[in-house]
Amino acid sequence: MSRRRREAGHEAAWPTGAELARLLAVLVAAVVLQTTAAPHFRLWGAYPDFALLAVVAVGLLRGAEAGAVFGFFTGMLSGIALMEPFGLSAFVLVLVGYLAGRYAETSDAGAGHVPFVAVLAAAFVSQVLLATAQFLLSREVPAGFFLGQVLAPSLLLEALLAVPAYLAVRAALRGGGEASVARVAR
Amino acid sequence: MVVALLLLSVALLTLYFRESGSGVSHRVQEVVLEVVTPLQTGTARATKPFRDGWHWVVDLFRAKSENAALRREVEQLRAGLANKLLVEAENAELRRLVGLRDDLVYPKGVRFVTGRVVARSTSAWYSTVTINVGSADGVRRYDPVVNGAGLVGRVMQVTRDAAQVMLITDQQSYIDAVVEPGGAQGLVAGSVTGDLSLQYVGKDEKVKVGQYVVSAGRASTVFVRGIPIGVVESVSSREVELYQTIAVRPFVDFGRLDLVQVIVR
Repeated sequence: MSRRRREAGHEAAWPTGAELARLLAVLVAAVVLQTTAAPHFRLWGAYPDFALLAVVAVGLLRGAEAGAVFGFFTGMLSGIALMEPFGLSAFVLVLVGYLAGRYAETSDAGAGHVPFVAVLAAAFVSQVLLATAQFLLSREVPAGFFLGQVLAPSLLLEALLAVPAYLAVRAALRGGGEASVARVAR
Repeated sequence: MVVALLLLSVALLTLYFRESGSGVSHRVQEVVLEVVTPLQTGTARATKPFRDGWHWVVDLFRAKSENAALRREVEQLRAGLANKLLVEAENAELRRLVGLRDDLVYPKGVRFVTGRVVARSTSAWYSTVTINVGSADGVRRYDPVVNGAGLVGRVMQVTRDAAQVMLITDQQSYIDAVVEPGGAQGLVAGSVTGDLSLQYVGKDEKVKVGQYVVSAGRASTVFVRGIPIGVVESVSSREVELYQTIAVRPFVDFGRLDLVQVIVR
């Protein structure tokens, strides 16, 4: 059984006020960074996705349900801040947070490769879902552009940022009683 | 719980697209933005030195190729300047003769509202920015947005203290434009790749590389005439097509938008 799983136990619990405040601070920081700083740091044609990185980290550290809830509010706030269609980012980040949490619950969360693999998978899922949504919204989605200029660069960039982002979120949440908001899915 | 959140997201998305601009989700957006926008403004200011530092590093790599391109452009402009001065003098004389007042690029009755870009979409599918001026400053939907270099885009959503601007590079942006000199008319269209093209210019129109593309400013559009958009980068045509394929290089550096002006009437 993994260390985090042991810590999390099997009891669902509400987060304490201090822990909620920490999660809220991570959420606001991720969204503000995403909307103000990220657009200026373009590498290989992609922009860092701090919102996604934060949601994956919370999912890994706090479990699937906490990850999904955190993803929902992060997606809502970033959608509102950018005046993008309401609910689109939220939908994507709920799935990302949930899947990251499930992955942590079924693997050794202490292993160094876990954040890296989780972010790669999350970036893939996120980009595919967003491209599908664009297609459904009747916007142009050329396959070559998506694969070469959206998917591949974003996977590379997010992979680079995966571990630093995970460590930053873990440091921000440290001391909040990791088990208190986690619920291990059965 | 997760299924409920997913359903809620889809419901909100559906509501957003079905309701009018003054509907519930738009109002929620407005209220949250009133809190978020000052935070974004503060962060945009605080991170400016870091952004400038990053751009400085990127510039070092770009400088060499840009220098060569700029030298070529200066040579072209120098060649055209003498001709332009002659034409301007002739134009002024003709205007004086027929009693017309000098028309500036921006006609009387418009004013400028200056705002700062406080957020920008990092999605590959949207080319939008959020600026920190809104309806309280007189900004309205579809108002043109410019900066010192030329046309930036148009306002698509307005709240009290913020507005969303669709950049001219967005794939859903189309602007009536005219090529100067020559007067060939068409539509400047954005694309998913961020490239601009001038569309619907017939094969009989003569368009050359290096000519300027400006807004046409027809009566039915919100754009005033003569806002610089870009320069013709390449022109080609194929026998099977009705129109020429014209690539346009925008004057505005969309990677570094900071202060912009909304043209309000």
